[in-house]
Amino acid sequence: MPSDTLEAVSEIRELSYAEAVREALAQAMEADERVFLFGEDVGVYGGAFGVSGDLVHRFGKERVIDTPISELGIAGAAVGAAITGMRPVLEIQFSDFVTLAMEQLVNQAAKIRFMFGGKASVPMVVRLPGGSGTGAAAQHSQSLEAWFAHVPGLKVLQPSTPHDAKGMLLAAIDDPNPVLIFEHKLLYKTKGHVPAEAYRVPIGKAAIRREGTDLTIVGSSIMALKAEAAAERLASEGISAEVIDLRSIRPIDFTTIAESVRKTHRLLVVYEGVKTMGIGAEISAMIAESEVFDFLDAPIIRLGGADAPIPYNPVLEKAAVPQEDDIVTAATNLVRRGEA
Amino acid sequence: MPIEVILPKVDMDMETGTIEAWHVKEGDLVRQGDTIFEIGTNKAVMEVEAPASGAIRNIKAETGVPISVGTPVAWIYLDGEAATTPSEPAAAAATVAAATSLPKAEAQVAPVMAAAPTSSGLRATPLARRIARQNALDLKTVTGTGPRGRIGEADVTRHLEQRPRCTPAQDARPAPTLSTNVSEGRLQPFSAIRRIVANRLSESMRTAPHFYLTSEIEMSAARDLLGRLAKRHERIGAPKPSLTVLIARIVARALRDHPVINASVEGEATRFHERIDIGIAMERDGDLVVPVLRDAGGMDMPAMTREFARLREGMAKRTLTPAELGGGTFTISNLGMYGVDSFTAIINPPQGAILAVGRTVDKPVGRNGQIVLRPMANFTLSSDHRIVDGVAAARFMADLREALENPELLL
Repeated sequence: MPSDTLEAVSEIRELSYAEAVREALAQAMEADERVFLFGEDVGVYGGAFGVSGDLVHRFGKERVIDTPISELGIAGAAVGAAITGMRPVLEIQFSDFVTLAMEQLVNQAAKIRFMFGGKASVPMVVRLPGGSGTGAAAQHSQSLEAWFAHVPGLKVLQPSTPHDAKGMLLAAIDDPNPVLIFEHKLLYKTKGHVPAEAYRVPIGKAAIRREGTDLTIVGSSIMALKAEAAAERLASEGISAEVIDLRSIRPIDFTTIAESVRKTHRLLVVYEGVKTMGIGAEISAMIAESEVFDFLDAPIIRLGGADAPIPYNPVLEKAAVPQEDDIVTAATNLVRRGEA
Repeated sequence: MPIEVILPKVDMDMETGTIEAWHVKEGDLVRQGDTIFEIGTNKAVMEVEAPASGAIRNIKAETGVPISVGTPVAWIYLDGEAATTPSEPAAAAATVAAATSLPKAEAQVAPVMAAAPTSSGLRATPLARRIARQNALDLKTVTGTGPRGRIGEADVTRHLEQRPRCTPAQDARPAPTLSTNVSEGRLQPFSAIRRIVANRLSESMRTAPHFYLTSEIEMSAARDLLGRLAKRHERIGAPKPSLTVLIARIVARALRDHPVINASVEGEATRFHERIDIGIAMERDGDLVVPVLRDAGGMDMPAMTREFARLREGMAKRTLTPAELGGGTFTISNLGMYGVDSFTAIINPPQGAILAVGRTVDKPVGRNGQIVLRPMANFTLSSDHRIVDGVAAARFMADLREALENPELLL
């Protein structure tokens, strides 16, 4: 690659989230012929959200494979391919449909390496467009990442920026373990700086998006962006919020969260998945169990999705998940009154 | 086997106690019944006797540090027992570890260090508790401004900033700065009683909305009566009655008709007390104590005078039990003998009111169109507006005036 010119361009280059994912796929396929794509309408149609785009034309139908509508079949074939040395990257068209692939992901992909004493591994990547906000109703809008974060043997990622979407996907393809990447549908069109070269963003390392002193807001995926926007508004009200983008749910970067809370003494966890039994509960408990407990100056607050199926009605749909205003309110209450 | 000396439970709701002073030292020989230490509860200071005769060994408890009831604080080795055997149970050592691990200097200046984590019902954030621990600060002395009175970091920090500079620094080595800097004066840690007074009265001012009614009352009749009572008491062999006792007697009678003044705040309810127990604020060695005339409503003057004398003596000799020093339903504070004209008192919680009595002094007053001199005294009632309204308090004051000015009406 003529790196001189490319790097010069990369400094000012902006890509959408979807383009960044596509670029990662293309670069991985170029670099390693074992990498192939797999999923419903990922080929000629270019993917339900246009992520795979023209890849079928660049790499051929042998490597960008349209599958029947059978998530269990897709996942099972991917597990098989991975065990036999391939590097499958599959797309579950809407992450909600992953329910049909649970057997292969949870009982097979996650466990094979351990049950065979490391003699087999399952280097597969599953991309799952998820989240609400598109008017797609209860069966096409869920945020199910916490389910998988509960399973030892799986890695679960939630990149929030085009930069991380590319870098984490490449890191996931390198990883010898099954990795699930939840991509929020509302993020696909967001743009950001994306270097042209094939870089990696390490799995299991959170990013501090904004430094602050009054409270720590932890979020991932689109909630990290909402937290950043909220932090900007909070700053104008004299509240200094530190924003941590988890990026990786499992493994989780507890050290970064703990160090931040040790500094700010207050924690607000924001996530789109259903609040009850969710990621926020895990993070809260980790803090409560750790030595950082002694640094808390207020209860830990979770802002999570409503205990309800995502409504179709757009007003209710918005109300069912944390919004920027909710984060501002909760953070203000936490800092000013001691609770949200 | 050596005899365990435990921190006794000397009061019903007592959970921890503080050893105010040891009367013995390591190796001393004691006889059963000898006083070996003084214990401060949240009401009083009590003397604790040796449970057996022998040599005191392995004194484990520092003074000034709250210790759980039942914790062994020392052992008595009987005659012939190898006094050098360090045979105190391991569990006991662990129980008092927090106390004994304090460096001596720190324990002297910061006697309440261990209180914060064990105090029950105290709302404080983990960070506030941590900072309090580091600064040997009793969180009970800090006012919480968070939800439901929760103490947060800012409350503790503010408190520490307001505290005199003798505050132990973070490394808890304050003694040198104290001894080298004479201009800061002498630092005397709160005694157990001072701590209780400080906490209870702060709490009272914080939670009870006080209001005050003052009446100037003519004392001629009360004075005459006191004179006649003195003669009668002399005849029947009762102690000479004081004005305070007479006032207590008249107040006790007046309270019978004013149940809301003889009441306490209990959560979000008013507790009307059937019995009238009148606490009399007194001073002992610079400390404020309030012995209680139990069932003052049912006592005649000789009985009340005798009981009052007994309480005074018990207080001076420190033989009063915590029960005798707490649990009144109404309190009287008389500072008239110090020449105070009038004052407002802080309610003794959870009681609903307290009466502050000023000195009796001859003043010109109008009587039948003439200016005449009459002995007058100011009585100021502080009431907790949560349970006592202005009119209710005023009615009580009206009856009190009538009774003091016409004591024969009480008959």
